[in-house]
Amino acid sequence: MQAGLSTKNAPSPKVVLPFYAYGALAFIVAAIMMFFTDIDITTSFLTPKVLSIAHTLILGWVTMLIFGALYQLIPVVMEVKLYSEKLAMASFISLALGTPFMAYSFWANFIGDSPVMIIGGSLVIISVILFVINVVGSGRKTENKTIENRFIITSVVWLLLTVLLGISIILFPQILSHGSFIIHVHIGIIGWFMMLVVGVSSTLMPMFFIAHQLNKKYLERAYWAINGGLLLLVITMFFELGIYVRIIAAISILIGFIMFFRYNFSAYKKRLRHNLDVGMKLSVLAFTLFLVTLITGFLSALGDIIPVEFSNRINIIYGVSLIYGFLTALILGQMYKTLPFIVWLKLYQDKVGKFKTPLPADMHSEEAAQAHYFFFIAAFTLLIGGIWFQEPILIKASAFFMFITSLLYGYNTYKILGHKQQLKPLAMPKMHKKKPIVKS
Amino acid sequence: MAKIDQLNETEQEILEVIKTVPDPEVNVNIVDLGLIYEVSHDEANKIIKIVMTLSARGCPVGDTILQHVQTVVSNMFPGYYVDVELVWEPQWTPALITEDGRAALDGGF
Repeated sequence: MQAGLSTKNAPSPKVVLPFYAYGALAFIVAAIMMFFTDIDITTSFLTPKVLSIAHTLILGWVTMLIFGALYQLIPVVMEVKLYSEKLAMASFISLALGTPFMAYSFWANFIGDSPVMIIGGSLVIISVILFVINVVGSGRKTENKTIENRFIITSVVWLLLTVLLGISIILFPQILSHGSFIIHVHIGIIGWFMMLVVGVSSTLMPMFFIAHQLNKKYLERAYWAINGGLLLLVITMFFELGIYVRIIAAISILIGFIMFFRYNFSAYKKRLRHNLDVGMKLSVLAFTLFLVTLITGFLSALGDIIPVEFSNRINIIYGVSLIYGFLTALILGQMYKTLPFIVWLKLYQDKVGKFKTPLPADMHSEEAAQAHYFFFIAAFTLLIGGIWFQEPILIKASAFFMFITSLLYGYNTYKILGHKQQLKPLAMPKMHKKKPIVKS
Repeated sequence: MAKIDQLNETEQEILEVIKTVPDPEVNVNIVDLGLIYEVSHDEANKIIKIVMTLSARGCPVGDTILQHVQTVVSNMFPGYYVDVELVWEPQWTPALITEDGRAALDGGF
């Protein structure tokens, strides 16, 4: 009907809502798992429990929410219908089944060619392939060839490479060197998560802030600096080219993200909405935490220059600040900017103008949201402190606050999902009832 | 077609009705957000025409807002054909937000 409108392109809510429901549960489960891992996380990534929690969070929480949100947001950013709703549902089922298999397998230390791991890994890969087909298929249909869309398409290509390399490491550990694991982690972190976030947030943040006339040259530069740097990083890790090439790659990636920050910061400064709602407060917090990821990521690229007693902790903080800091805060916030609208449109799309309807912002408990904002900050601060000082009691305290955060967030997610239609009579301006229309 | 600063009495009334339509994201009415460009009222042919825009092309609630405008105006002016046209030119800019709109955005939530 009208060009450029995305409600008509939006997928059916039943495709998207299960991702939100599952993600909230996985976040709670991961928070509970944290209670049992106080020693491991201060020593290394490569312990069964840490790997299990990492994959529960990365697949069940972060990837689940990103898949769901992206199926909803593709019509917004690309102005096309989703390529296939059936593939989207299949990708949910596959990821929802594969994640517990993988998490259990890591927890029980069934790595290598254990059947549980192979089933879990295969299901996750199927899910990712279905997701990639959907995003690339939608991207081919769009006439909206913006830099933001290019970031999104490129990120899913890196995602595909990440999971293919991941499963290869599990199946053929004797063939692939340690360098493969590092490449798996980096293309997953930088190529998939960070690049996707750049693409999506560069579209949404200015929209939510109501900021206009931003300079997209920064995004263009960011694209080439991040991708060029990442490619160089992969090459140097694969061929073991040494520290200096790695530092050049790290500098290029860092410059790319600084460009992206500049773009978003100008959106923040030009914003017309000065009073930020809880969703945007959490999103701004997420970008602040992203600085921790950038700094520790850069330091970890310095490798041997940093004394080993620090480098191990820096590496852990790099990963933790990305998954449990930046991405978790961003999801906590962006849930409030997406899920209420999906449910609201489902329930009230045909009722507007006929009845007084609640607003999307009325569908959650504001007290719970404000509380988990502070609980989350406490949990994250204690976690980083616990890792840095290698203090199990701080990790336990962090696990407690993250558990409360996950419960409050889960409460709000299910409150929105379970929202029942509330219609009231419409109050219209009185003057029209008194006065007939005069001829113009 | 009357620009919204040159409306006659009836068109002004139509604009007041449209003021009951909020942008669901920011909870500020779309007239104060500067989204309404023109309003016209043709008594002879029983046609009301509204030309409006949205603040962002990808706005997920865009056509719900258009539908909202159409419904409230149709309800208040029964017997009229209400035509809501969406345009992207001239492009909306924050300069179009009224003083009331700015105040509501600043401290409204």
